[in-house]
Parts: sequence; C-alpha cells; structure tokens
Amino acid sequence: MSELKSRIASPSAGASNGSLSPGAGDRFELEPGEKVVASCRFDLDANLRFTDGSIVLTDRRLMADPPASADGGPAFDGGPRSWRLGPETTIDVHLRSAVGRIELAQQGQVVARWLFTPARAKGVHALEDAFDARVHGQTSQSRDAETETDTDTDEQPESVAPAGGKSLSEDEPAAGGMGTSWRALFRVLAFARPHASMAILGIFLTLASTVATLVPPYLTMPLVDSVLIPKQAGEPIPFAHVWWYLGGLALAATAAWLLSWARSWTLAWVSERIAADLRVKTYAHMQTLSLDFFSGKRTGDLMSRVGSDTDRINIFLSVNVIEFASNVMLVVLTAVVLIWINPWLALVTLAPFPLVVWLVYAVRTGLRRGFARASVAWADMTSVLADTIPGIRVVKAFAQEAREVARFSDANDRVLDANDRVNVVWAFFGPLVSLFSEIGLLVVWAAGAWMVFSGSVTVGMLTAFLTYISRFYGRIESMIHMVPATQRAATSAQRIFDILDCQPTVAEAARPINPGRVRGRIEISNLHFRYGAREILHGIDLTIEPGEMIGLVGTSGSGKSTLANLVCRFYDPSSGSIKIDGNDLRDLSITGYRRNLGCVLQEPFLFFGTIAENIAYGCPTDATSDPDELRQRIVAAARAAGAHEFILAQPLAYDSRVGERGGSLSGGERQRLSIARALLVDPRILVLDEATSAVDAETEAIIQAAIDRLVAGRTTIAIAHRLSTLRRANRLVVLDHGRIAEMGTHDDLLAAEGAYARLYHAQQKAAEEAAAGV
Amino acid sequence: MTSPGHPLPPALHSPSPRTPATLAGWRLERASHGRLDFIDAAGQRHGDVDVLRAFPVSAPAGPVVIVATDGAELAWIDPLSDLDAPLRGLLETALSQREFLPVIERIESVSDGEPMEWSVVTDRGPRWFTVTHIDDIVYAPDGSVSITDSVGVRYAIPQLSRLDSRSRRLLDRLD
Repeated sequence: MSELKSRIASPSAGASNGSLSPGAGDRFELEPGEKVVASCRFDLDANLRFTDGSIVLTDRRLMADPPASADGGPAFDGGPRSWRLGPETTIDVHLRSAVGRIELAQQGQVVARWLFTPARAKGVHALEDAFDARVHGQTSQSRDAETETDTDTDEQPESVAPAGGKSLSEDEPAAGGMGTSWRALFRVLAFARPHASMAILGIFLTLASTVATLVPPYLTMPLVDSVLIPKQAGEPIPFAHVWWYLGGLALAATAAWLLSWARSWTLAWVSERIAADLRVKTYAHMQTLSLDFFSGKRTGDLMSRVGSDTDRINIFLSVNVIEFASNVMLVVLTAVVLIWINPWLALVTLAPFPLVVWLVYAVRTGLRRGFARASVAWADMTSVLADTIPGIRVVKAFAQEAREVARFSDANDRVLDANDRVNVVWAFFGPLVSLFSEIGLLVVWAAGAWMVFSGSVTVGMLTAFLTYISRFYGRIESMIHMVPATQRAATSAQRIFDILDCQPTVAEAARPINPGRVRGRIEISNLHFRYGAREILHGIDLTIEPGEMIGLVGTSGSGKSTLANLVCRFYDPSSGSIKIDGNDLRDLSITGYRRNLGCVLQEPFLFFGTIAENIAYGCPTDATSDPDELRQRIVAAARAAGAHEFILAQPLAYDSRVGERGGSLSGGERQRLSIARALLVDPRILVLDEATSAVDAETEAIIQAAIDRLVAGRTTIAIAHRLSTLRRANRLVVLDHGRIAEMGTHDDLLAAEGAYARLYHAQQKAAEEAAAGV
Repeated sequence: MTSPGHPLPPALHSPSPRTPATLAGWRLERASHGRLDFIDAAGQRHGDVDVLRAFPVSAPAGPVVIVATDGAELAWIDPLSDLDAPLRGLLETALSQREFLPVIERIESVSDGEPMEWSVVTDRGPRWFTVTHIDDIVYAPDGSVSITDSVGVRYAIPQLSRLDSRSRRLLDRLD
C-alpha cells in the first residue's frame, strides 16, 4: 500500500499538494507525468448514509469514488471513475444546509454529483478553489497552495466555526482536566521571573519566620523539666531562671511577628506585580486578536477574565501561597523537631497525618468540579449584567424589567446552587479535620502518659509535643483551605491563558512591508471569503483607482460589509487577493496599513472622554507635540464634518464630556463626530459602512455634505442602502449573493435596466409615496 | 452650514495661518442690558451674541468664538491677544460672566454614596451643592480638579496638593 501511495505522492513533488490519504492512493492510478493538484473527501452517499470517498483533482483529470448520482439518474455502482477535464468542464459546489453537493458538469450537463456534510466543506472548497485557479490561470497560486495544505485534515472533522484559533472553553473552564489547569498555574510563575530577587527574599523570610515560631514550644521543654518540676519537687530554684525563659519566649514571638510582617509585605508586593503584568498582558494580547475573536465572545466574560480572574490569582499568590508555604515548612520542621526530641513519640504523633493527606486529596477532586461549575455560573451572571445594562432602553421600552430580573435571578440561583454543592463537601470536610486533630491529641496524650509512666519521656517533652501537635493540626486545617483556593486560582489562570494562547487569525506577515502613505489603488482579484462552511464572496474582481469612489449596492447579506471588512483587513480572504498599490494586503504591516485607513460606521462609537479627545482618537499623540496645532486641526476637522457649531453649543464646547454616559448627543451629531475623527487622520482609503442609514433625511443632508468633503481625493468604498447617498460615486458595484452582478455609473446602470434600476425605482417610489403621505 | 464669518475650512494637514480677527472687518457693540451686538463685515447686525471659549478646560487661554443666538459661528479669535485693547476688554468681560468658576478653598463635608452632597468654602463664599456622579469629578494630569454639580455649575481646585489635608482626605475617600 505504501508503494502505491508513493506512486502518487512522489512524482508530484513539484505539485502544490502531494499528500493524499492512503485510502485514496491505492484506488487511483496516475498517468505518467500527471500531477495531483488537490484532493478532498466526501462523506455521504445517494441515500444520505454516511460513507467515505475521495475525489482527486490532477492537472488533467478528476478522479473519484462512485458519485451519488449523475444527471439526476440512479446512483453509480462499482469502482472509482475518472473524467477528463476539458475547457467546458465545471465544478460547482453548493452548501446551504447540512448537506452540500459537488457537481461536475461537462458542456453544461451534470455528469456526476457527490454529497458531503459541512465537516468536509473546507477540503471541498479547497478543491473547488484549486479547480478555479487552474481555469482562471495561475493567479496567486502560492496563496492557494497555502490553503490546500490545510485541507488534509481528514482525520479530524473540521470545525464549522471560523478558523479563529483555539476557541475559549466557556462551558467548562477546567475541562482540560486537572493537569492543564495546574500547568496554567505553573505558567503564572513565569510572570514572577522579573521579580525573582524579591520572591527569593520572600521565601527566605518565610523560612525564617517559620523557624521563629518553632522556638517557643522548644523552650517550654527545659522550662518545665529543669525549672518548674524540680521547683515543685522542692528544689531551691530562683525565679530568675523563669525570667530567662520568658524573655526567650518573648524574643521568639517578636522575631516571628517582625519576620512574618516582612514576609507578607514582600510576597504581596511580588504578587501584585504578577497580577498587574498578567492584566496588561492579557488586555494587550486581546487587542492584537482579530475581530472574529470578539464577535464570538460575551463582553462580560472577557471583562471578568481580565478583571476578576487576575485579581483572584493575586489574592491566591499573596495570601494562600504564603500561608501554604509557611504551613508546609512548619509541618516539615515540626516533624524534624519531634523526631529529634523523641522518635517514638514522634511516630505516634505523626501517624494520622498520611490519612489526613489522603483525605485532602480525595476531596480535592470533588471540589475541583464544583469550583469550575461555580466559576461558569458566576461568569454567566456577570454576562447577564453586561447584556442588559447597555440595552436598558430596549428593556424598558418593551417593559421587560421583570423578565430581566428573572433572568438575573435564574443566573444567581445557578451560582447559589453551584456554591451550595461545594459547601456540602466543604462543610463536611472542615469538621472532619478538626475531629482528626482531636483524635491526634488524644493519641499523643495516651502514648505520652504511658511513656511518662514508663520513664522514657519527661513531662516537659510531653508538654512540648502537645504544643507542637496542636499547632501541627491547626496548620493542616488551614492547609486544606489551600485546596479550593488553588483550584479557583488554577481555573482563573486557565481562563487567562485561554486568551493568551489565542492566535490572531489576521496575522502580521513575517517580514511586513511598511506601506508608508499609500496612493490608494486597490486591486481585488478572484476574492473568495468563507465564514465557517458558508461562502460569502464567490470570486470578486474589482480594481479601484486612487481617489475613486465606489458605491457598493446590494441586498442585506449580499457581501457588501464583508468586502469592506476584507479591505480593512479585519479578516483575510479564503483565497484570491487584495492588493494595495500592487502589494498584497497580507504582506503589509497591519498598523502601518491601517494608518492609511479611515472608517465611518453605521453606529458611531464615542469613547468616554471629551469631544476633542474623541475627534483626535485616531491621531498618534506623538505626531503632534504642539497641543495648539492639534487643537487647530481638531477644529478644522469638526468644521469640515459640520460638527463645529453643535459642539460650541455644548456646555464646555470642545471640552464637553461624551461617551457612555454622554447621551446628550443625537445620532446625527455622533456620526458627525466620527466623520471628524476620520477626517483628522486624513486617510488615503476610506470605508463608509452605512454611515447615514441611522439618521433622518434632514440630518442625512448635513452628514452628506460632510461626507462629500471627506471623500474628496480619497479612495472610497461606500456602502449604503439609500442610493441617494451614493450620488457622488464614480462607479456603483451591485453585489448579489457574493458576486458582482452589475457595475457602472448611475446612468449606465439605469439604462441597463437591471437589478440596480429596479432597486432605484423602488426607492424613488417609496420616497414619493412618503412625500405624498406628508 | 458654514458661518458667514468664516470661510470653508482650509486644507486639514496645513492649519490656517492665524488671521487677526480685527482684519476680518467685524466689530462688537455694547447693547442694552449688557448684551453684545455683532456687526459683520457686510454690515449685518446680529443681536445678543454669545462669547465662549472653544476649549475652556484644556486651553483656558485658547481660542474664543462669537456665536449668534441660533448657534451659528460668527467669528473665531485665536488668540485673543491679537485684538486691540477695547475690543478685547469687551470680550473678556463677556467671558468672565460666562466663565463663572468658583475656586474651592476648603471642603467641609462630602456625603457618602451618589448623589453626593458637598459643602465647601469657595473664593466666592460658602456653598452647598450636589454632585450626581463620581465621573463629574475630573482629575487633570496637571494636578487640578474640576467638579460639575447637578445643575451644571463648575467648581475648580487649581492645585490639589495645595488643599489642606482634611479636604484632601475627604476627596480621597471618594474613589
């Protein structure tokens, strides 16, 4: 079999894709010199039963396992077949539902049809792209090759979600098992490296303070044996001896206090910094991630990851770890001291200890799940808040306050329930440990009394043992608090590293070209874009000259916004390319390119801050060191955007605060501020995505005037439902289901009497009717 | 929508050279009840105009605007010192009334929670006011603090560090 496989794979070393599954390899034989271009697998037969078959595309043939049907006829039987590719051969892929089909046609006749589920979509589309690339000439072949190498993922079903890197595990943060989350906690240690010296000092102080706390019980031993008991037995011992021991005890206590003070401060200092670094790093990493990361996440969940999870780690490190470390040291040192004093009594004393350790371990597993569930429930609850507070107007308008309260209350109940479950285990566990320590004390009393009677230990020794052992078990009890704390911190660490491990899908090129200030020529060739299994753009070819304004027209879902998003490089194309001044967009530095870019979106977003700050948002602060000059530019931009006069009417003019709480501005006013923002960065390429659709006709006229000024001299892609908005466009591009249906000037398209003309007349009629109605 | 007093904006990357406002050919006249009338270059009279600063907080000595009653901009003056003394005096008087900004010298008490009831001593006498939201207290990087009360009156603390320690403690407690 391997021989047969090599028959296919090895001669095609020059081909872009040489890897075929072994199953395909032994069924298809290549002719001499024939090269495999792409391959994919299908997984349904004619009766929609699951099957497994392959389709192989070579430079001259299409070879495949029996197709489901041909020409609507009955299913084929028998072995693999092949079709020679002629100029009239086409491959069509349809995927609208859970069943997709591949149709091979020759001279317009469908000769074979294969069925597949979305699990195979990626491979199928890659084959289709490879086929199209073969037909369309070798446009951007290297890019296609890149896609093809990804197609050989037959072993695992492809995710239907977009290739958005690793997805966040929202349902079960600790789903990766204890191993992963504990590993996450260890990874937090890497953040301690910059503060290593302080951390080491902290560990040293922990050790020192632990030793200091062990001194007092040790001193009680000679106090009892060589002072108190002999005195009671009638020996003349001066009280000064007692003073000595009391002094020693006081000294040890003071030292322990000072040392643990220094220890707590030092380690808290370190852990604050670790948490601060984690927060900034997580947030900074989040900012590098592509838009598809954010579109799939709930704001509340992300906020709690950056906020509460880092804080939980901080508290864990500054409180729990310190406690735990000093407890462990204390337990170990106590054991050493006890064995030192009397090994036999020590043995009896420490005997229950392994039992307690086992118990801790056993309970941990139960608690871990409980805490993971509690943490999910908590995130759900905050998500409800993050959902409803921004949408409060909708809630009130539809009088759904009670419903929202019920929703929150449900989420709160789930938190309560999850915590209750944890507490059941917890409440049982704590007293159990107390019982163990009581039993331990009993054992020491019994064994100690017996040994005192037999004369092998002194009363002083027994006193010291009892003092040590009560501390010992006290520490074990507090060590057990460490278990849930560690679990919680590990879960939090995992949730943070989930974000840090996400790779941006729109990645910076290995050697990015800094475009500087571009001229603004955009060449879009054979552009395909797929979101999940759904193909949104099917081969767009469009060249936009510098300074040209293109109006994108089409129904919702026709791919207008997708095309604009691709030009902004919020996403990368599945195949095909966008070139800016002749350079592939993917080779340009992302931020360098976006400095040339201005965006005015349907929903203008204003940050919390003054109007002036919002207008200057896109302006690199270091570029204009002179605040006077920046202010002049802000005013000029606001004037051009038609925003100047309403800004002056605000209580503090340009220094008035807007943003989340500054609801005093109308939609049109906000839009004009966002136009001023775009004007100030003086972009070469401008994207207007439904910039005027959220405002009334009168405001639109004002905004339109502002946009006309904004558009002048810049390459512009404008999307609008209202065709009147696009009257200044040099060309109109009508998109229909991800393809360019029509292209031309307004007059050309009207004369052509196509889709555009229909749309235009419909809008005219609606406008006239509206006018007549008024 | 551009005002008659101001032509279309110049190119954005080369800000306009500062044109002395007096050259634009307009003048101001004091009308009855302390009002100001503005007579533009074409001789058109605009009654009861408003004088305000474009950046009252970030550039308190910066550009000054004259605005008509309907909100239209009549003149843009940057800087004020380019004007001759009588005209400047007229504008400064108008601005001083508009820029009523009591300076807080001591904070007597601030209530907990929102809204906060403030009791302060200002350079214009003692005053009671209500602040609706903590965001209405703005700390500037230069150490000054600006407080806007529920009715829109602003109060200033020019330099936080110069405030007495008790007042500072009261302010600290708010965050």
